[in-house]
Amino acid sequence: MLITRCKDRELIDILKKKRCLVLKCFGCREVYFPEEEIDHILKEAGVSASNKGRFDYLCREEFTERYLKYLERVLKEVDSVVVFSCGVGVQVVSKMLPEIPVIPGCDTYYINGFQGITAQDVDCQQCGECWLNITGGICPITSCSKGLLNGPCGGAKNGKCEVNPEMDCGWVLIYKRLKALGETEMLKKSAVNIRDYRIIIEGRKDKDESGRKT
Amino acid sequence: MDEKTVVDYTKYRLKKEDELKESLGGINRMTLLWCKKCFTEFKEETEQECQQAIKIIRGLNLSISHCEGIDFLCNNHHTIKVLQALSSEEPVGVISCGIGIQFVASFFDGKRKVLALADSVPQSGNATSIAGYHGIALGAEKCAACGQCYLEKTGGICPVVACAKSLLNGPCGGASKDGKCEVNKELPCAWIEIYKRLNGQKRGIDSRIDIRDYNVFPVDEEKKHIKINQERRREGFYGGLYPLEQKEATEGLSIRVFPAPERVSIFLSQHTGIPAKLLVKTGDKVKKGQKIGESGGFVSATVHSSVSGKVIAIEEKVHPVSQTLQTAVVIENDGRDTPDSSIEPLISRDGLPREKVIDILKEKGIVGLGGAMFPSSVKLSPPKPVDILIVNGCECEPYLNADNRLMIEHPEELLKGIEIVRRLLEIKDIIFAIEDNKKEAVESITSAVKNYPDIKVATPKTKYPQGAERMLIKRVSGREVPEAGLPFDVGVVVFNVATLYAIYKAVYEGLPLIERVITVAGEDAVSPGNYLVRIGTHFSDILASCSGIKSSIPEGYELRMGGPMMGIVQKDVNSAVIKGTTGLLLMKKYPVEVSEENICIRCGRCVDVCPMELIPYYYAYYGQKKQWSDMARYKVKSCIECGCCQYICSSKIDIVGLVKKGKRYADNKM
Amino acid sequence: MNLEEKLKNGKFVITSEIGPPKGTNIMPHIEEAEHIKDKVDAFNVTDLQSSVMRLGSLATSHLLVEKGMEPVFQITCRDRNRLALQSDLLSAYVLGIRNILILTGDHTVLGDHPQAKPVFDLDSISLLKVASDLMKGKDMVGNDLDGIPAFFLGAVVSPGYEPQELQLLKMERKIEAGARFFQTQAVYDLDAFEKFMKQASNFGVPVLGGIVLLKSAAMAKFMNENVAGVSVPERYINMMASADKKDRPKVSVQIASELIKGMKGLCSGIHIMPLGWERYVPDVLEASGF
Repeated sequence: MLITRCKDRELIDILKKKRCLVLKCFGCREVYFPEEEIDHILKEAGVSASNKGRFDYLCREEFTERYLKYLERVLKEVDSVVVFSCGVGVQVVSKMLPEIPVIPGCDTYYINGFQGITAQDVDCQQCGECWLNITGGICPITSCSKGLLNGPCGGAKNGKCEVNPEMDCGWVLIYKRLKALGETEMLKKSAVNIRDYRIIIEGRKDKDESGRKT
Repeated sequence: MDEKTVVDYTKYRLKKEDELKESLGGINRMTLLWCKKCFTEFKEETEQECQQAIKIIRGLNLSISHCEGIDFLCNNHHTIKVLQALSSEEPVGVISCGIGIQFVASFFDGKRKVLALADSVPQSGNATSIAGYHGIALGAEKCAACGQCYLEKTGGICPVVACAKSLLNGPCGGASKDGKCEVNKELPCAWIEIYKRLNGQKRGIDSRIDIRDYNVFPVDEEKKHIKINQERRREGFYGGLYPLEQKEATEGLSIRVFPAPERVSIFLSQHTGIPAKLLVKTGDKVKKGQKIGESGGFVSATVHSSVSGKVIAIEEKVHPVSQTLQTAVVIENDGRDTPDSSIEPLISRDGLPREKVIDILKEKGIVGLGGAMFPSSVKLSPPKPVDILIVNGCECEPYLNADNRLMIEHPEELLKGIEIVRRLLEIKDIIFAIEDNKKEAVESITSAVKNYPDIKVATPKTKYPQGAERMLIKRVSGREVPEAGLPFDVGVVVFNVATLYAIYKAVYEGLPLIERVITVAGEDAVSPGNYLVRIGTHFSDILASCSGIKSSIPEGYELRMGGPMMGIVQKDVNSAVIKGTTGLLLMKKYPVEVSEENICIRCGRCVDVCPMELIPYYYAYYGQKKQWSDMARYKVKSCIECGCCQYICSSKIDIVGLVKKGKRYADNKM
Repeated sequence: MNLEEKLKNGKFVITSEIGPPKGTNIMPHIEEAEHIKDKVDAFNVTDLQSSVMRLGSLATSHLLVEKGMEPVFQITCRDRNRLALQSDLLSAYVLGIRNILILTGDHTVLGDHPQAKPVFDLDSISLLKVASDLMKGKDMVGNDLDGIPAFFLGAVVSPGYEPQELQLLKMERKIEAGARFFQTQAVYDLDAFEKFMKQASNFGVPVLGGIVLLKSAAMAKFMNENVAGVSVPERYINMMASADKKDRPKVSVQIASELIKGMKGLCSGIHIMPLGWERYVPDVLEASGF
């Protein structure tokens, strides 16, 4: 699921210099949204109440259409629109206002999870060629910092990853799980595993292009 | 906007048959669990992959001892219940994306074999940027969550997702003559699109050279955010959310007496149960506090006049809760406030037998003032023994401060009210619950209870809807009210602070329920405040006094009785204050309205926020198809109508409206 | 005789290591190697060790060949995808390089360009297999090669890694994928090494024990805390701690030679990682009886 963090304070200069309309998207506030920080920046930049809009789900075209209609008078008088939302919201607003520069107020990051608003403990990189049957149900791509498919590298110390000592070595976890399942020969028997990155491209082709038009 | 794209973002697809056959080798029996999918339009049930899998599995002479479809399989809280109920030790085959499969595998943690029967579906379509997430929408736009947004430079077209090479500095030389990408000839070259978009804004591509930082979100930072999110979500009780509290406008305003209006309309139904029986007729003179409606049965309540004067009409008016016409007694105020003879303090209240006090409370028309309006005399005669009294000072709805101000300004009276209830129920343990956003009230009550060792003050972290009985009971006492049960089933009784104040007034002053504190607020309410209003005061009078609005709700605004989550939108300003009115809000209409007809996209948010642990999206689906018995099957009767699902619904479906219909029609078997 | 042949004949081989500089000034390193080329059977060249950008191991290995020395070309999977890796292996062959040490590689985040994109398209096992397949005349996707390389493939093993069974499992897989010799991470505990070698020698593939010269007690403590698979016993830490700063190299050489003498019966050779103390390698070799 996507979360956002405020871009640097250089935003304040943009907000002060240009005549801006500011849009805040609170659709994912329950996941994480730095609203206080944003309001602080808007206050410091002196953005007036009439030039602000607080809406949810800017990523939904049918809603954003109406939000922008609601603000049409303000839109006529501004040079740019600053959007505090994830990248999807910014892209949808830009699509609908192709002639006005739209500026993202936030940077977008990802935390584990697809549905709902509660972050998950595990992740899926959507590789399209699930390896979970040979790793005892622990994903080697997301639990190993290097995404290795053939067992651990030499970098783990005390079962912790070389990248961050707080992080478990994914392959040590996989080994322990296979041991509990009595399946450690998986590590010997399985063929040399190599990813097929074409699946990423092919895997979406038929879906995206045939995305139904309404 | 002319055309919109609707994409099916189902996150898994069944593995190929030969791969399935290989991984199922050596197994005789198994359990099959399949996820009912997320991010695909909820137009039909989603069993295709499951059916296919069953066919293949049966073809291998494997028996499936148990097959279950799970809504949002990766919803830890709900799915764990399914997993705990699985009886045998045989392997579990899971049809879901990698998150679901790993979750099930981590639950069994090596004690049972878990098989992945599906592959995930790649998200981005871009092998250079594997990350490419759609929003809470089924649209075409995706975000790579790169943590260094370039959309300003590119006029709003993401170079990371849209460019097959994720180039940040202009096109490569590979685009075809007609501007199509060399990787996928169906797609336009992203940088040519960017160039066109910038031209439309009279801009060129910025000369700044951008190089991506792949370590912008180190793993420990990601984990920190995951922890913050999980702690907030799991705080107190499952589900719920944190809407903006919006209490600043009125939390510091002390209660003011709203002047008695020229006319009041007293509804005969201001409580759960049978409406009161009319005792007066047009032309009758009445005194303040005089009984004008008799209790209509066991679960019913009396109704009194809140002013002295003359009954000028018995009318059908729009009731503020049902929004349908119901009987109201319209009384013209003579301005003298002549009290009825029944208004006198109980002289020897301490020595009165229990039944007498309960009779008095019944006679004075005391009902729950938190909004449910349940007759207090009935609540004070629970069919099972109770040992804990919880005083509900949570007031979890945004904007409202009526209960808050009572706790700040009248702590002693509240404690006297508590004492009355305590004696009636012979209770030892009393928990006074105040959400932690009310610091002044916490201080006031904590100080006041110093001499009451039986009363403990609990200040749970503010979360909506903590003030709802079940959630509150779980949170402060740890007890769980059973499904279709009531608080007394676990030995608990809950009373709202305003109700206790009314009980105090009834016993110590003999005052029937003819006035209460409400919060008036909203976006342009000129005099927001906390007012002690007479029951029956018309909304138009309150609006006229607080907002300068004379007769109707202005264009672009709506009037809500209660809070923004559960409050009822009022279509008639001539409706009036009833016992259950906690507040009156004048709010700007939101540019997008909820509708019963919008299609659910299975985003999973409603299930994540439902504090009753229901599956609200079925109410949307079956409600739209008018399949009421299916709604009943999904326990629509257990819904407390808190509004969390509707608030978070990414399709803006009027789920609460459909629930209300479902509850009505399920009874009528329509 | 080259390294492969020497190992076949049972010689106790000695390999050392060159870490190329961050820049083009490689010749001093080559000259230093030349000074000890009679005692050292082959020189490893590290591939952007610790994920710090440096001169490449391919160019350096070639320079060693030109000067009549035998390199061990270290290649990691951190920076190049499968196309570049296959290509670099072919390039190594035409530049006269035969010994290849295949590693997964440290993560980019640990080096001096932490913002870089980590590749890891392949890992040590898959790259070993790919290299073996190239030797059979086929590229990764099955195309015939026009000119077939021949390599002596090696990999790394970590005797101190816990759980040890996992490390042995991986070692077995590396052999299956084509590894014909191993070099270990730094060894400081001969008993633990002996225990490890008891199992590892069953695989029948030569193992060269790793020796890292200790520079100070602080370095030893740092490695104990941060470096995977390495644990320096208290005894050595105390020896380093009680020496004066100018005497540290002497103590270090002493420790190293003690370890090397102990390893002589346990493995097929040693691999010295000087990490900047190349000038003391001759002393180490002399003190160890070479």
